[in-house]
This record gives sequence, structure tokens and C-alpha cells, in this order.
Amino acid sequence: MPRDEIPPGTLYMLILRVLARSGEMHGYEIAKSIELLSRDILQVEEGSLYPALQRMLIKGWVKAEWGVTVENRRARYYRLTPAGRKQLEQEILQFERVIGAITRVIQAS
Amino acid sequence: MRFTEWLEELGRRVTTLFSGRAHFDHEMEEEMRLHRDLRARDLRDDGATAEEAYYSAQRRFGNSLRLREEIHQAWGWNWVDGLILDLRYAARRLRQSPGFTAIAVLTLALGIGASSAIYSFMDALLLRVLPVPDPKSLVVLKWHIATLDDSGPIGNRSVIHGRSGSTYDVPHLGHTGGIFPYPAFELFQRDDAPFLKLFAYYKTDRLNVMVKGQATVARGGYVSGDYFSGLEVVPAAGRLIAADDDQAGSAAVAVASYGFSQRHFGGPANTTGQTIVVNNVPVTIVGVTAPEFFGVDPGVSPSLFFPVHLNVRLEGIKPWGFKPAQYLDQNSYWLEIMARLRPGVTMTQAQAALAPRFHHWVETTATKDVERANLPELVLQEGAGGLDALRRRYSRPLYILLTLVAFILTIACANIANLLLARATTRRREIALRLSIGASRARLVRQLLTESVLLAFLGGAVGVGIAVWGIRFLMVLLASGRQDFTVIHPDLNWHVLAVAAALSLLTGVLFGLAPALQSSQVDVAPALKEIRSGESRARSSLSLSHVLVVSQIGLSLLMLVAAGLFVRTLKNLQAIELGINRENLLLFSMNASQVGHGGTEILSFYDGLQKRLAGLPGVRSASLAHTGLVADGNSSTCVIVPGKPVDDRTYYLNVGPAFFSTMQNPILFGREIDERDQLKSPAVVVVNEEFVKAYFDRQNPLGHHLTFGCMDAARDLEIIGVAKNAHYGDLRAEVPPVIYVPYKQSPVPSFEMTYALRTAGDPLAMAKMARDIAHQADPRVPVTDVITQTAAIDRTMGQEAMFAELCTAFAVLALLIACVGLYGTVSYNVARRTHEIGIRIALGARRGVVVWMVLRQVLALAALGLAIGVPVALATSKLIESFLFGMKPNDLLALTIAVLTLAGSVALAGYAPAWKASRIDPMIALRDE
Repeated sequence: MPRDEIPPGTLYMLILRVLARSGEMHGYEIAKSIELLSRDILQVEEGSLYPALQRMLIKGWVKAEWGVTVENRRARYYRLTPAGRKQLEQEILQFERVIGAITRVIQAS
Repeated sequence: MRFTEWLEELGRRVTTLFSGRAHFDHEMEEEMRLHRDLRARDLRDDGATAEEAYYSAQRRFGNSLRLREEIHQAWGWNWVDGLILDLRYAARRLRQSPGFTAIAVLTLALGIGASSAIYSFMDALLLRVLPVPDPKSLVVLKWHIATLDDSGPIGNRSVIHGRSGSTYDVPHLGHTGGIFPYPAFELFQRDDAPFLKLFAYYKTDRLNVMVKGQATVARGGYVSGDYFSGLEVVPAAGRLIAADDDQAGSAAVAVASYGFSQRHFGGPANTTGQTIVVNNVPVTIVGVTAPEFFGVDPGVSPSLFFPVHLNVRLEGIKPWGFKPAQYLDQNSYWLEIMARLRPGVTMTQAQAALAPRFHHWVETTATKDVERANLPELVLQEGAGGLDALRRRYSRPLYILLTLVAFILTIACANIANLLLARATTRRREIALRLSIGASRARLVRQLLTESVLLAFLGGAVGVGIAVWGIRFLMVLLASGRQDFTVIHPDLNWHVLAVAAALSLLTGVLFGLAPALQSSQVDVAPALKEIRSGESRARSSLSLSHVLVVSQIGLSLLMLVAAGLFVRTLKNLQAIELGINRENLLLFSMNASQVGHGGTEILSFYDGLQKRLAGLPGVRSASLAHTGLVADGNSSTCVIVPGKPVDDRTYYLNVGPAFFSTMQNPILFGREIDERDQLKSPAVVVVNEEFVKAYFDRQNPLGHHLTFGCMDAARDLEIIGVAKNAHYGDLRAEVPPVIYVPYKQSPVPSFEMTYALRTAGDPLAMAKMARDIAHQADPRVPVTDVITQTAAIDRTMGQEAMFAELCTAFAVLALLIACVGLYGTVSYNVARRTHEIGIRIALGARRGVVVWMVLRQVLALAALGLAIGVPVALATSKLIESFLFGMKPNDLLALTIAVLTLAGSVALAGYAPAWKASRIDPMIALRDE
């Protein structure tokens, strides 16, 4: 099955989206859930996931807290903040506008 | 991004930074390890071998070091690392030239320290709010009126017939006051819609207070029933004054200040329920205020608070003291009023609601057309800082001082910028080298700026130490001997420290930016080729340094002119011909009426005391008057001289026998008041020269009669002597016409008396004996205001003395800094031109010519500085006109002295390097190549 890189600029939106869906997740769960939801088409690079998460922490979009996984291992769990929720709405709006525009260009006869 | 968001983000960055980087990396590591392990497990589940899965998971992460670096960068830590590097480098550079560093740090420290000290006073005096809940909702009630001039034949021109309390002029708004008649207070209380509470305050006179048989004097305040509840303060013990206490006929109660209860009862717990005797009236203390509470006037800290209505009993005995009728008088203004706004009501709304009501009411109190045309209009002012008398008094002097220290700081900055410019030129090679191996100009500028900001912060740190000392010094100067200057405690709080830090940053950038920018503009190739670093022709840096020197000279001139004006003002004040001999004169005051002395008995009490004091060994003579002659209050009266128009610009002084010989105020004609002038003997008066000029056209007035007072308490007096003019009351005013009346015969009875002792030696040495004699006469009457006449006069010139001393110190400092800067610049120029000068000398230039060549440049700079400074000084000295005495702001002498001092200092600062230049040995200079 072909796997694609995540288009630049959309990683934040995807992370925010999966966090909004399931509340609390650690890094691997976030990556996994993006892969699953995209039916394995989108592939999250670990090398971009963790810097992105740290930038989102700085921006105050997510909060992190240490917890324990089902296998009893320590893991950092990320959660959306109200600011993150607002950011998600904005990113989706913007994304839809861009995608709509691109689609119109492609489909123009 | 909004500022708050930026701030929150900064907060997160800083907290993470301070939680420790090792810990952070460790957590990052653990998080990623989990990720790799889980990924490997999933790959195994998909059928990969354990080894394959491990490496595949590992590979997906890529270079973990780069990842970490990226995350560090996201948090901004590389910036912090760079800063630390820059700081280390800067510290090393500063250590390399300790002389430069010491001079720079010291001059900056003086500038920043002085500014911070003065700012701390502004913070305490002008910006601090009352220590009560929600001070922002407090307002002060005031009025504006077109004119308050009630002199002249028409009499009252406003509804304000009598007033007790200060009023002041506000440019463009007319006269302003914060005092109201009691009926107006009741009016506002009736119509109190915009206010939660409305309350009133009135300062007491000095009170005689007996605590456990010990007599003291204290200041107090009368407060209305809603005062404490309106301010929403709670007592430290007992209860506070409530509405029931403030009724005519209520029990005599008081609330003590925390300080009073500690001084006299050892703390609030023992104070409640105690009875003290105030002005001969027993008063029960019902409570104690909290330690930080000082009332609503930052200038006065009352020891005792009484209900307003108690004033009739405490201070009603004077003829002009409080009579119950005054509560009904609509034209007598005395009560200060504050209020707390209802939540949601703005000050503007409250004023819009109340001003028409007050206008309507005050109109009904007018009886004449002139009064109706000139009605006071109600205005509301912010009350968070309480009443503003103290702020009004000190804001202008503080702003002037702040301007002066800002000048010093500017000069210091210019100076350091100049020194840095000179250093930058010697660093050209180093900078060129760094540029050539790839350093960015921005990075270099940042590094050079770090150096100057570090320098500034060192200066700021030392400056805070100077500020601590400066605050104490200023406290002494500003208080100028006033004992009640204790409410305000300027200190190094975080406001002041923040200002000092901000100043350091600002100055660091200011003096660092120009040299940093300039030195990063180095042209790499030629700079590297230079053999010696000083050889280059840095034209632009020279002209910038010239601008800096010229501006330093100009600013120094301004400060020298200001210092000259203030010193001359002080000298003029000190040179005022008093008309008496101020040396060896001891003054003190007593008020026997407050403990029940009265009628003719009080006369013999004061008389007996005078005789005993005059008999003391070491006392040449002793007398008394109802107020101190100079530097105290004064009393005016209306006087009728037959055949002359009545007016009330004459002043009177009730005096005892031997007053003139004690004060050494010469009698020109006739005799002085002496023991012959008793209660029952013919009533007499001594007048001064000014009085003779005003009423007798310089004719001999002896034997003529005058009537003292126009109302029922008038008395016919025969003129028996003419005294030489002597200042009475305000020293700055012209000597008014004065009549001196024996206090035993005066129609205006005397209550407080000021004794004057002419001593053989040091007057203060007699103070103890005088106190003992007074104590023997009546231990209930405390002796107050013990002071020598000289000190009493000096105290009235406190502000002028402060300006003269501070401004002189500042000007000397400014001049010193400017000269050091000039010396540095010229020396540097000479050093740079060593080669050229060597050639000139080798070719036969005489030493004098070389000296002149260097000096000419210095003098040209000075002339330019003066050419700019003199017009500016002339234009700006008008701003301090109200602080000057006996001279115009464009005083020629002050200006000349300033110009000469400056020119002399500059020539001196320039001569040393010029002389050095002339001593250059051409052989050495040329071989130096």
C-alpha cells in the first residue's frame, strides 16, 4: 500500500483533530490514530511529530501530563486546551477554503 | 498575537527553562523510547523479526541529536545559550579595561541612583493610594470659583464669607477649594444617590492631650459618622466612630491611631476604654485603627480621631473657634468631603448628578449680585490617593529634580557612548577579522549591545545602593525640619527597582547602539591592512563624538545656570534684612488656655512665667508674643485711624513687656512696651515705620490714637512708639504695616504664646532650664516648638536650600562627567595623531603652536556647546521662576558665572592632553611606525 507524507502545514490540524476526538493520548497513539483514520495513507514522521507537539505546548494549544499506559509504562499524555480547540476550528476553516480553491482549479474545464 | 498571549507564552518558556534542561531532555528521551518500543512491537506483530523491527523503528526517528536541537530551538534555548556566551565575552572585555569599566559604572550608578531615589519619592508622594479596600472608587469633592478675592471696599465677592482650610489657584479654572459648609454636607448626604457613603474630615488644631497625668501635644482629625465605614477599614481593637457618635450632645469619644496606642498604652489591647483629657475635656478611647491606616490626608497623620461634632467642646473656647451656630452657617466653608461611588457609577456621572444640585443650593446662599455672578461650581476628583495637599506641594519640586537627574543621566550616557566610540575604533581590526570569517553584522551588534547593557546593569546595581542612601538624604532635605513629615515612607519597593532596571536597559541600549552600529560597519579589507589600530581615519565616529561632547557641554551649562539661580535665591533669602537680631534667640510655645487657664488669670500665668524666665542665669532678657515674629503665622486686623479710610491690611502682634529689647528691634521714636503697660493702665500701641508711612504720611504719630478692630471687640489705643521695620510672618513678603499691642490690653485675647529668650551663649543650652521652669509653672501645659530663631528662619528656606544644595551638587557632577568625557576624547584624538604631531614638531613647529592646535579644537567644541546652551537656558529658566526670590530667571550674573565656570573647566580638561601633545618626542613618534 502506498504511503504519503503529510502535506506541510497540516500536521498541527491533524494532531489537534485526533486529540479533540479522543481526549487524552500519548505520542505514539497520536501517530497511530492519524495513520488508522487515514486508512494508512498518511504517515506521521516521528522526526516532525515531537517538535510539533513541543511547539503546540509552547503555543498553549495542548497540555501534557505524565501518566501510565495499560502496559504500565510511563507515558506523556497530551490533551487539548480551550485555545487548542479554537485553533482547530480555525485550521479546519482555512484548510477547507484552500482545498476548495485547489479543487476548483483542478476541475476547471 | 495579542500581548497577553505573548506573555503567557513567555511564561511557559521561562517555567520550562527553569525546570531544568537535563530533566527536560530526560523526559523527551523517555517519551521517544516508548514510541520506538511500541512501534517495534507493532512491526513484530506484523511479522517482522525482532531485529528488523528494532532497526526500522529506530530509523524512523532519524538523527535524535538533531531532533533534540530542533526542540531546544523551538523553546528558544539556543537564544539563551547565545546570550550566556555574549555575557561571558562582555564580562571578559570589561575586566580587560578596569579603568574604563569603573568610570562608566560609577557615572551610570550616580545617574541611575539619583533618578531612582527621586522616583521613589514620586512613587510615595504622588502615586501611592490609600491603604483601604477599593481605593479607586473614592472621590474628593471640590469646587472652582472665578475669584476668591475678598479684599477691598466691596467686601465679600463670593458666598464664601469665611473659610478654614487651604484653597489654591488652578490655571484656567480659577480658584479651587475642597472645603464646604456643613449644610452642603447635609445636602450631599440627602441626595446621595451616586454614593455608597459620603463622609467628612476636618483637621484639628494642635491639641493638648493628658495621658495618665502626662501632658503632650497631638494632632488629630475630626471625622463624620460614616468616615470609617465609608473607607471600609476595620479597627485593630475596639470599635471605630459610628454615626451615633457624631451628633450634637453625643458622649465624648475618640479612636486612637495604632502609633498613639503603642506610644502611650503599650498596644491596642490596653487602649480601648481608657480615658484621656483633650483640651481639658475627658474623652473615652473606644478603639484603635489598623497599623497602616493614617487617615485620608497623606500629609498629616492624626494621632486621634474624634467625631466632627466634638469640635464645639474641644476647640470652642476661642472667639473664632467652633460655635454650634457654625453648623447652620451656609457661608462658612471648613469641612473636607470625600465619598465612595456606588458600584457601576462613574465619577463623571456622579458629578453630573450632584453639580446642578449644589449650584441650586449655593445660589440660595447668595445675598448680593456680585456673589450670584461668582458662584462656586462643584467638581469631583479622584480620591484613591486621598486629599491632595501634599501632592500639590511637592509635585513641582520633584518634577524639577527629576529633570535635573535626567540631565545627569543623559550626560553620563553621552559620556560612555563617547568612550565606547573611542574603544570601538581600537577594536576595528578584531571586528573586521570576525566579519571576514563569517560573523553576521546583526550578531556583532547584538554582542556589542550585550556589553553595554551589562555595563548599564552593573551601574544600575551600584545605583540601587546609591538610591538607598539618596532616599535618606532627600528625606532630610525635603522634610526640612518638619516633624510631621512622617506619613510618607519612600522605600525601595518593586516599582522603584523596576524603574532602576528599566533605566539600566534603556541607557545601555542608548549609549551602546550608536557605537555598536558604527563599529559593525567596518570596511573589512582596509581595516585588516592597518598596521596599528589607531591609525585609521574614522571620520564619522569623530563627528558623532563631537556631537556628544557638544551636547554634554550644553546640558552642563543648563545645570550650572539652574544651580546659580537657586544659590542666588538662597543667598537673597538669607540676606533679607530682618529688623531684629536673629542670633542667640531661643523660641518655644505654650498654650495654657487648653488646660483651663483663662480670663485675667491666664495673663498673670504668662506674666509670671516671663519674669521667672528673664531671671534665669544666662538669659539677658525674655519676652513673649502671640506668635513667632518671623517664620510663623501672622494675624491681620482692621484698624481705624481718624481721618483715614478703613482697611484691613494692617497686621497686629500681641506682645509682652521688653519685646523690642529682647528681639533687638530698635525703637525709633518714643518708648517700647514695658512693665508700665498693665491690664488697667492706659491702652497703648507701638507701630512700625510702614504703618507711619501708610497712615501718617511720615509725620510724627506719637500721641495719636487708633482703634484696633472694627467689630464689637474694638479698643482705642494711644501710639507711644515707632519701631524700625521688622519682618513679620512670611519672609518673602514686603514688611506690612504692623501694630504691636500689649497682650494684657489687646481686644483679641491670646491663647498660645511664643516665648523668646535672648541668651548670653548657645540658646539651645537654655532649653532644658526653660522647660523645667515651664513645667514648674503648670505640668499640664507642654512646651512645644523649642527652636532657635536662626533655625526657625532656616526652616522656611528649606526648599530653597534643598534646591541650591542638590542642584549645585548635580551641576558639579555633570561638569565633572563632561570634563572627564572631554579629556578622554581629546586624549584619544591626540594619541591618534601622534604620528602627525611628531612630524610637525620634527619640521619645527613650536610647542605653543601644538598646544594651541589641540586646544583650539576643544574651545571650538565648547563654544558650540555654549552657543546652543545659552539660548536654551534663557528659554527654559522661566519654568523655575516661581522657585526664585529677588531675581529674574534670566539673571545675568548667574549666566555669566555658569559660562565662565564651564569655559574654565573645559579649557582645563583640554589643556592636559594638549600639553602632552606638545611634549611628543618626534624621534619616538616617528620610529613608532
